[in-house]
Amino acid sequence: MAANVDSQRPQNTRAIMGFLREHAPFSSMDDTHLAHFAEHATLRFFADGDVVLSPDDGTVKRFYVVKQGRIRGERHNEKEDRTETTFEISQGECFPLAALIGERPTRTLHRATGDTFCLSIEQDAFITLFSESDPFRDFCLRGVSSLLDQVNQRIQSNAMASIGSSNSLDTPLERYALRNPIVCSPDLPVRKAVARMHENNVGSIIITDDNRHPTGIFTLRDLRTMIAEEKGPLDTPIRQVMTPEPCRLSAQSDAFEAAMLMAEHHFAHLCVVDEDQRLIGVVSERDLFSLQRVDLVNLARTIGTATHLRTLVSLRSQVSRLVDAMLAHGADSGQVVKIITTLNDVTVRRVLELNIKKNDPGIPFTWLTFGSEGRQEQTLLTDQDNGILFRTPEGMTEEQVREKLLPFAQTVNQELAECGFTLCKGNIMASNPKLCLSDREWDDWFIRFIDASTPQNLVYSSIFLDMRAVFGPTEPLHELLEKVLTRIRKNALFQKMLAGNAFQRKPPLTMFRNFRYVNDGKKHALDLKRQGLAPFVESVRVFALANGVETANTLERMEELARKGVFDPKDANAWKEAYSLIQAIRMRAHQEMLDRGEELTNYIDPDDLNPLDRRILRESFRQAQRLQQKLEVTYQL
Amino acid sequence: MLEYIRHWLEKRRGLKDGNWDNLPSPKTVGDQLLSEIRLIVLDLETTGLNPGQDEVIAIGAVAITGGVIHLDDQFDLILRRPDLDISETVLIHGIGPEALTQGHETEDALLYLLDWMNGDPVLAYHSAFDQKFLEKTLKQQLGYVRSHVWIDVADLLPAFFPNAQTGGKGLDHWADFFGLEVSERHHAAADALATAELTLVALNRAGKDGVKTLKALSDKLRYHRQLQNMKRF
Repeated sequence: MAANVDSQRPQNTRAIMGFLREHAPFSSMDDTHLAHFAEHATLRFFADGDVVLSPDDGTVKRFYVVKQGRIRGERHNEKEDRTETTFEISQGECFPLAALIGERPTRTLHRATGDTFCLSIEQDAFITLFSESDPFRDFCLRGVSSLLDQVNQRIQSNAMASIGSSNSLDTPLERYALRNPIVCSPDLPVRKAVARMHENNVGSIIITDDNRHPTGIFTLRDLRTMIAEEKGPLDTPIRQVMTPEPCRLSAQSDAFEAAMLMAEHHFAHLCVVDEDQRLIGVVSERDLFSLQRVDLVNLARTIGTATHLRTLVSLRSQVSRLVDAMLAHGADSGQVVKIITTLNDVTVRRVLELNIKKNDPGIPFTWLTFGSEGRQEQTLLTDQDNGILFRTPEGMTEEQVREKLLPFAQTVNQELAECGFTLCKGNIMASNPKLCLSDREWDDWFIRFIDASTPQNLVYSSIFLDMRAVFGPTEPLHELLEKVLTRIRKNALFQKMLAGNAFQRKPPLTMFRNFRYVNDGKKHALDLKRQGLAPFVESVRVFALANGVETANTLERMEELARKGVFDPKDANAWKEAYSLIQAIRMRAHQEMLDRGEELTNYIDPDDLNPLDRRILRESFRQAQRLQQKLEVTYQL
Repeated sequence: MLEYIRHWLEKRRGLKDGNWDNLPSPKTVGDQLLSEIRLIVLDLETTGLNPGQDEVIAIGAVAITGGVIHLDDQFDLILRRPDLDISETVLIHGIGPEALTQGHETEDALLYLLDWMNGDPVLAYHSAFDQKFLEKTLKQQLGYVRSHVWIDVADLLPAFFPNAQTGGKGLDHWADFFGLEVSERHHAAADALATAELTLVALNRAGKDGVKTLKALSDKLRYHRQLQNMKRF
C-alpha cells in the first residue's frame, strides 16, 4: 500500500523525499511529512561566494536544506577586524534554525562555497512540519545536540544488548527510592543494633547524633569482622565498633559520583544528606546497580584486597566486561575513562602495596603517572608511563636512595606488565634511573625542559606535563607542580613552542570538509587518537599550563579554563562535547574489536559508521579546528 | 496528477469542443525581466528519434519563476499510447506497456499541458528535438498550431560558460561538470529537473553578466550561435 502511494507521487517529489531520507532529522520523519516538504519546496541556486542569507534581510521566513555544495557562516570579529568562518553547513544539513524559531533576522551572513543548490520551504510549510512531526520539532529546538543524543542512545543500546538494564548514572540520588534509613544512637549495644537490622531486613545501620547527623555506619561485614577477630562482646556500645565518619553525598549528586566514591573507598553504602548535613537516606551499591552484573565496587574491592599477583591478573579481564556494563548504564565516555582509570589506579596501588609488604625499600616515595594515565583518560588500550618522586632522607645521597628504589620499581614494572599494562617502549618507567628522582632533581629536570627546550624534547610535553600522583604522599607533587606552572606562565617562548607543537596535529579534515585519511597504506583509516583526540588534548594543555590550571584531565582543564574566562563557556561546551564524542566512538570500536577477538587499535574506517555518526564525527573534528584557530590567534602562529 | 487533470477538465469543459481561445496565448520575446519571468523547462520521452514516425510517450516539466524552481508547479505524466510499438525505447527509458496504460487520455493531458504552460517560454536540452515532437503531437491530437518561444539549454550553457571543460555537449556532461545528481536519468521529469537546475546556474551567471531581460538573453544566444558558425568555417 505504501509503495503504491509512493509510486503515485511525481518522480521529482519521490527523488527529493529519497534525498531527505538519507539525512537526519528527515531520516526519522514520516513519509507524509517528507512528501509535504517535497511538494512545497523550491530549489534555488547560489554560485560560489553568493550571499544566501544576510542579517540585513530582516526576519527569516524560509527554512533551507543544502542539496548540493556548502554554506559557510561569516561573522565580523570587531576586535581583530577580520571575517571569521563560524560554521559550515554541507549536504543534507539545514539552516537557519535559531533565527527561524526566534522569528528574527539571522545574525550570521550565510555565503555559498562552491556551486550550491538549496531546497527551501516557506514559513507556513515549516510551521506545519514543526507542529506535526515530533522528530522534526525536536531537531529544530535542540539542534545538533538532539543528534548527539541519538548517537549516545545507540551507543548505550548496543552495550545494553550485552547486559540488559536501564538505570542511568546521571540520575540524581534523590530519585532513587532511598529507603528510610535504619538509625540508632552511639550507645546502643551491638546486639540490639543487629536485631534492629534483622527486623528491617537490611545490611547496614547508621549511627546518628541528636541532630540526625550521621556519625558512623555499621554493616554486616563489620559484624563478621568483629566476631572473627574477637573485637569484643555483643554488649559493646556500637560506637566502639562502627566505622566513623561515613561517606556522605548530597541528594543532588548523581549515581555516577556515588559509584566512583564507593569504588575509590571500597564502601558498599553511602549516606545521603540534606544541606544541613542531616541524614535523609542511604544508598547502597545494590541500589545503584540493581542487576548486580555491574560490579564496579565489588571489582574495585576485590582488586584492592587481592593477596596475589595472579588474582590481579585474572581480575583484569573483568574490567572490559565492566566497560560494556557502564556504557549500558548510560555512562558517557568521560565517565567510562574515569572508571577505567580508577580501576587501573586500584590495580597499580595494590601491586605497589603487595611489593612493599614483600620487600619494603624503606623509603617513602610518590608513584607518578604520566600521559593518558596522568590525564585520567585511559581506555582499554594502555601502556605504562610512570616515575618516582622521593624526598632524600637525611644522611643519604640521591644515588643511595635510587639503589634501593630502582630494583623495587623494576619488579613493579614487570608485575604491572603481567596485569596488562604494556611495558613502555620509550622506557618511560619508574625503573629508569632518569625518572626515579628526588624533588630537587625533578625540579632541575623541569627547568632544563622548560628553559632550554628544543623542538625535539617537546615531543615529551604530552607525557611529562600531564602528571598525577597515584600512590604515596601528594604534597611533594603539588609543590613541584606549583613551581613548574609558575615557570611556564612566565616563559612566553616556551608557551609559543608548545602551541606550535600542538598546532602540528591537524584534525583529519580536508579543505572540502571530507575526511583526510592517514597515509600508511591503510586506505580509509582515521586514527581517532592521534588525529581526533590529540588536537584537543594538546591545544587544551597549552592553555591550561599558560593559565595555571593544575589538573591534567582534558575535560576538567576545559571546564577550569571556561571558569577562568579563557574559553567562552559555549565554546568550551562544544569542545567538550566533540572531544567526548570522538572518545565514545573510539571506545565503542575497542569493545567491538574485543568482541571479535582482534588486537586493539585506534584506527576506524568512517565508511563503517552510519551517516549520522559520520556527520557528527566530522562536526567534532571541525570543533578541533576551531580550537586550533584559537591557539593560532592567541600565539600568532 | 490524473485526478488533478480530471478536476481541471470539469471546470473548463468548453475546451474539448475546439475552443482554443480559452487557452493562454504564447508570449513573445520582449523586455520581461529574467528575475521575474516564468519559464517552462521540459523534457519528452519518445518511441524513437524520428519525428516523422515516432511518438511522445511521456512529458516531464518544471517551472522556474523568478530564478527559483517551484516544485509545486510541475508536470509529470506518461501519455496513454497503447497502440504504439515501444520495444525500441523501452530499452532506453524503461517504460513498459503497463506503465503506459496507467497514463491518461492524450488529448486531455495535452490540453492541460497547454493551459499549465500559460504561453510561457519553453526551455529544453537540444530543444529542436522536443519542439518538433511536441508541436507535431499538438497538431495531430488537438489541431493546435500556435508556436511558443523555445530556448535551447544546450546553447545557453556554453554561451555563459565558454571555457568550461565539460568533455562533451550532452546533458550528462554539463550535469557532471556542475556536480548535479540526476535522480533517474531518462525519466522525463527527472531530466527536466536536471535541465532546470542547469538553467538556474546559467541564469545566475546571466544576472552577473548584465543580461537582465528575455530579449537580452535571446540576443546573446543568437550572437553566440553566429560565433559558433563562424568558427566552424
